[in-house]
Amino acid sequence: MTEHLLNSKQMAQFVASGYLKFEDMIPKDLCQACRDEMPTFGGYMAVGSPLEETWPKNTPLGDAFRLPQVQGLIHSLIGPDPLYDHHAAHLVKGKQMKGPDAHQDSVIDFRENYFDIQLSFFPVDTTDEMGGTFLVPGTQYRNVRTGEIGLYQHMRGKIWATCPGGTMYVWNTRVWHGARSNHTDQDRYMFKLRLNPTRPQIRNFDTSDLDDPAIPGILNTNHGWEGNEHRYELMHRVKLWRYLSGQPDYDIGERFLRRIEYNPGQAAVA
Amino acid sequence: MPSVQDIIVLFQTAPALDSQVVAWARYEASKGTRIQDLVEEAAPPYNTAMEAMRDGWQVLQMSELKHRMPEDGYELGPLPYQTVLSRFNELQEEG
Repeated sequence: MTEHLLNSKQMAQFVASGYLKFEDMIPKDLCQACRDEMPTFGGYMAVGSPLEETWPKNTPLGDAFRLPQVQGLIHSLIGPDPLYDHHAAHLVKGKQMKGPDAHQDSVIDFRENYFDIQLSFFPVDTTDEMGGTFLVPGTQYRNVRTGEIGLYQHMRGKIWATCPGGTMYVWNTRVWHGARSNHTDQDRYMFKLRLNPTRPQIRNFDTSDLDDPAIPGILNTNHGWEGNEHRYELMHRVKLWRYLSGQPDYDIGERFLRRIEYNPGQAAVA
Repeated sequence: MPSVQDIIVLFQTAPALDSQVVAWARYEASKGTRIQDLVEEAAPPYNTAMEAMRDGWQVLQMSELKHRMPEDGYELGPLPYQTVLSRFNELQEEG
């Protein structure tokens, strides 16, 4: 599995933007079999049960999520022995229109040093007109109550899935996202699988490039919507990076966390 | 046809009317009662609320500064500020 682990720069990108995209993740022949299986794959399984025990075996979708490259991705982000949370074959039928749909999944979630991942698999070529899922990168630290953000119809930095079949996006479940109109005659599927970690998400990725000088710049990414909030976003990213990388004193640039942590008087009082 | 009220909401990260718009929404009652197909827009209709005012939009609401406390001064949630603007446009048949 080691060869399929994310490197530190990719992890930093996930921390900053809340998602990663991998084209050619699933081989074409398996993609078609998965697409054929999606309409009948079934509903919720046992929420919170071990993925390996719960996820079907010897089916196209069962096999797809057990590919070494997918296992490496999962391990990098949430570690060994993940739990199955839920899955869904999201369908936007041909000519089905969608209005504003921005939302944050599930319920508001304030857990620190923790995130679930969602794997989004597009089994066929997904063009702009087919209405691939949209994401607003970097919004994973902004807690809101599910669909109340529907009033953010448009945001600077918004992206959406346009990709060849076999592409997989992995994203922090708190990223703001939604469905889009399908202007073609072809039904559009996005198969998602949400997973939980079972242990601290610390150094589960390839840390051989942990000191890469590109990492501060990656963490500092500006997606276009942050404006005056950018340094507050950065503080949350650095906090999560400290945790994931096992570097409790890590900071970058002007060291905004130090600006609120440094206090020599505190030690004297204690 | 009578004129009815259209609304645009411009979202900002500072409350000033000349601060950059980072998100936006249109509630154009002159065109219909719901948005059936949200067409993506790469850029906001106006870069600032001031630009919208120059184009005939009337400010209905602007945001107040927020008082920050130690408990929540670093919390992130919805975009913090918004300007609501109104303009009357001729009523159209609903599509």
